[in-house]
Amino acid sequence: MRIKRGIALLLAMILCLAVFTGCGEKGKEDETGGKSKNTEVVDKEDKEDKDESQEGSPYEVTEPITIEWWHAQEAQYAELIDSVVEQFHETDTKVTLEPVYQGSYTELNEKLIAALAADTAPALSVANTPYVAEYGASGVCEVLTPYIEADDFDIDDFGIGLIESSSYDGEPISLPFLISTQVMYYNKDMAEAEGIELPETWDEMDEFMDAAAKVTNGETERFATCVPGWDQWYFETYYRNSGVEIVTSDNTTDLDGSKAMEIAEQFKKWYKEGKIDWCYGTGASTNMRQAFFDGKAFSVMHTSSLYEMYVENCDFEVGMHYYPGADTRYSEVGGCVLLMPAKNDQKVKNAAWEAMKFLMSKDVNMQWADGSGYMPTRKSVLETEEAEAFLEKKPAFQAVFDNLDNIKPRIQHPAYPALSKIWLDSMAKAIIEDADMTATMEEAAKLINEALADY
Amino acid sequence: MIQTKKEIRPAETGASKTVNYRRRESIKDFMCVVPALVFLIIFVYYPIVHLFKISFTDWNLIRDSYKYVGLKNYKWLFKGSGFDVWLASLKVTLRYTIAEIVITIVGGLLLALLFNHTSKAFNFMRPIVFMPKYIAVATSGVVFIWILHKDYGVLNQALKSLGLKPLPWLVSEKTALKGVLMLTAWRVMGYSMMLYISAMNSISVDYYEAADLDGANGFKKFWYITLPLLSPMTIFILVTTFIASMKVFQSIDVMTGGGPYNATNVMVFWIYSLAFEEFRVDRAAVVSIIFFLILLACTALTLKISEKSVNYDA
Repeated sequence: MRIKRGIALLLAMILCLAVFTGCGEKGKEDETGGKSKNTEVVDKEDKEDKDESQEGSPYEVTEPITIEWWHAQEAQYAELIDSVVEQFHETDTKVTLEPVYQGSYTELNEKLIAALAADTAPALSVANTPYVAEYGASGVCEVLTPYIEADDFDIDDFGIGLIESSSYDGEPISLPFLISTQVMYYNKDMAEAEGIELPETWDEMDEFMDAAAKVTNGETERFATCVPGWDQWYFETYYRNSGVEIVTSDNTTDLDGSKAMEIAEQFKKWYKEGKIDWCYGTGASTNMRQAFFDGKAFSVMHTSSLYEMYVENCDFEVGMHYYPGADTRYSEVGGCVLLMPAKNDQKVKNAAWEAMKFLMSKDVNMQWADGSGYMPTRKSVLETEEAEAFLEKKPAFQAVFDNLDNIKPRIQHPAYPALSKIWLDSMAKAIIEDADMTATMEEAAKLINEALADY
Repeated sequence: MIQTKKEIRPAETGASKTVNYRRRESIKDFMCVVPALVFLIIFVYYPIVHLFKISFTDWNLIRDSYKYVGLKNYKWLFKGSGFDVWLASLKVTLRYTIAEIVITIVGGLLLALLFNHTSKAFNFMRPIVFMPKYIAVATSGVVFIWILHKDYGVLNQALKSLGLKPLPWLVSEKTALKGVLMLTAWRVMGYSMMLYISAMNSISVDYYEAADLDGANGFKKFWYITLPLLSPMTIFILVTTFIASMKVFQSIDVMTGGGPYNATNVMVFWIYSLAFEEFRVDRAAVVSIIFFLILLACTALTLKISEKSVNYDA
């Protein structure tokens, strides 16, 4: 009995010791911190390498290495990915790149977080643009400045909006990989037949609603447009273009301010009149698409990356219209960035950088755009013959090409995931369930301010 | 020489030999369970202790560093903005749990009474009723999303054909939990039916023969014989269903994502959202610990009650 007790006590002590030894180790890491530590190491290695040899990149891959690249591009993109990876292998590289599909952006985020905690992160990974802020704040990504400088990598070719979207605290921590923005898809045949003009400004929206919606005796036969209420990304642009500060400089929200309330009330009015559908909850995206395919909606607000999906499923010509503006006419960046986890050792990071440079190069930029439905990210490729051919094939993209300088980064704040959920739930409750908009948004603003106050 | 040594150890009598033998046997026994114990320590107890530690930090899982923040996360849960969400989530979880327990016990028992026959037809039908338990929740969840679709769903089409008003099953806060419970009912009733049938078959026929001699009717036989003698199985189903349903996650994740407006935001889904969507592992740890304690207390209470009120004759 005593022996049993003794062994049990010993095991319990070992357990406690193991846990609190773990604390101690983390505590030590506290002093250096994830991001700065890695940057310092890189800088130090840079200098040493540069001292040894003034020629070549300090990030050169010197021996064969196989690395993994985690992505979220589904089966239909497999051929494109394999083709680009094959082209990379055909270059004079010692790196073998293995692309691994990890599910949706959300699933990939979960897996990446787990891998980082377990020190088994891939060499390269994509990440949905909203994750950039939190990854940056947590030092997940390798800061790319020394790599860019050492290799004279032409980052300015991406345009300031895209660079900002993939940066944190002024430092590039990723590169804009497959980028999209919000657009309105509309039924071009219907527009031409009925002479419906798409709105250029928020003020013209009312007129557009009247022209495009078909409501008889309170029953909607056709919505003027469908708003994706399942993701605030699709409607926050209207707020930002009207000057609403979703996160103000003093770290609070203006979503219960007069301008924000005006926009929210306007959406609710259109919904109650049966002119728009507010798509929210399970299957909302599917329902919205189906309504558009079936001609039950004249237009839908969605991401530009789904252009081909709409074209393939519609038996009418699909038009693409840039979001109407107000004080400004900006849209926001969507899609994904490409990053290198900072936790990996330098050899792996060197290999990842080599692969990253190729995946982001001018040579394959238009291939990604053409094969995936996302837009070309490099300004220089827009003037090439390939770009002309792309526009001939997908003329609707002219609306996006004309506004490339107006595509701005998303709001970068670590509390944004929490904020988004509160906001979109509140909007849906006020619009669909007819809750009082003022009271709902005041309550939402209170919760959002509490979430923001944590940072 | 050996003989001499034995002679100078007078204490080693028959009794002390037995004690030594028992001690050796105890150590041997203990060594046999050490692999399992090590496994449990690494994969169960260590994470629990570690979780407790995380609850006192500001760690977000992806950051290498963290600092201790004392009771800050506990204050957020009990005195801050977390309390209302926690209370709402607990209510949703309890509503779901009570509903699942009722469905499992009542539905399973009714099905068991219906299918407790030995004919070929019933032998064929029983596995069909039992089968949903072994279909992946993710798969069946997707099928149920389609069945419960407000415009194209089979259920609403059936309601319409009966002249009833179709319902927005998964998109209204009034009906979303009911929608998820439909999937649950479809999955669990067959399983509890099988358990009840096996328990029914182990009840001695002597009781029923005696009841027949006393002139008892079918209902009385069920009420006074079957039901009391099924109580150990009922308690088993109650406890296991309680623990499983309090931890429901997959069906919620697939069918509603905790919505609409948090109407199906059960505790485990909330913990998941805090950790992986809001990157607040510190808060997720606090919620997990409190939830663990609630589960522990409820399970202990259920077992305590069952000791007093269960008829173990069967």
